[in-house]
Amino acid sequence: MATPDELVAKELARLSADFIARLPEQLRRVEDEVTAWLDAPRDRGRYEVLAHRVHQLKGSGSTFGCPGISRAARMLEQRMGDLRREIDAGQRPAITDVESAMAQLQNEGRRAQTRLRRQEGGK
Amino acid sequence: MRSETTVQSGGLHRILYVEDDADIREIVRMSLEMVGRYTVAACESCADALQVVDDFRPDLLLLDVMMPDMDGPSTLRKLRRRDSAVDAPAVFITAKVQAGDMAQYKQLGAFDVIVKPFDPMALPERIGQIWQSYREGEYGDAG
Repeated sequence: MATPDELVAKELARLSADFIARLPEQLRRVEDEVTAWLDAPRDRGRYEVLAHRVHQLKGSGSTFGCPGISRAARMLEQRMGDLRREIDAGQRPAITDVESAMAQLQNEGRRAQTRLRRQEGGK
Repeated sequence: MRSETTVQSGGLHRILYVEDDADIREIVRMSLEMVGRYTVAACESCADALQVVDDFRPDLLLLDVMMPDMDGPSTLRKLRRRDSAVDAPAVFITAKVQAGDMAQYKQLGAFDVIVKPFDPMALPERIGQIWQSYREGEYGDAG
């Protein structure tokens, strides 16, 4: 009979696989929202929705075995915050930093997918 | 939502947990219930927590900070208006910890802060340590 630790570890493994399987869709949504926000960077409501989604990825990535996702989401969150402060200060915003952070997040997503496929292939 | 379990840390039985991320909420609930043997009311929002808090009468509040409709500190302010949660120690869970944030969270009413990402398997032990610190501060003992 499985111990409580083993049961929780098994559930964590299941949730981690689900998290990685859903990453492409989640990251596509984040990228669409980044694009929409960069088209209208003064839209505070749009920023808040996007910031919450990125913040969730930062918090859940490492918990579900994807520390690279957490790191890339943290970078995107920081770059978004920098951009928002530039806009609030009336400066010309440098959107390429946000775009490159988004690209890095997509790279990490692809890495996690590759890792999951390898793990599933090894079963 | 909850299950009856035995007690791990002296005096800590019931944990009211509020987290909007369904996956995180599920693994934390499982870990606290199965490994920590606590009784957990896992809620997805402040509104959900306000519905259950009076019946549940939590010993400890575990609150995610960044939630879409009502954040952790605001949720804590609402819960504090209920007699059933007026003096339960609150622990914030957050991925946003920069210089000065810890002090600010404590000013907002948190007894302690757990930083995301965290190891779900180690969380019950961490909660037990926080509870012991609370008891030592409150009653001068760990039991």
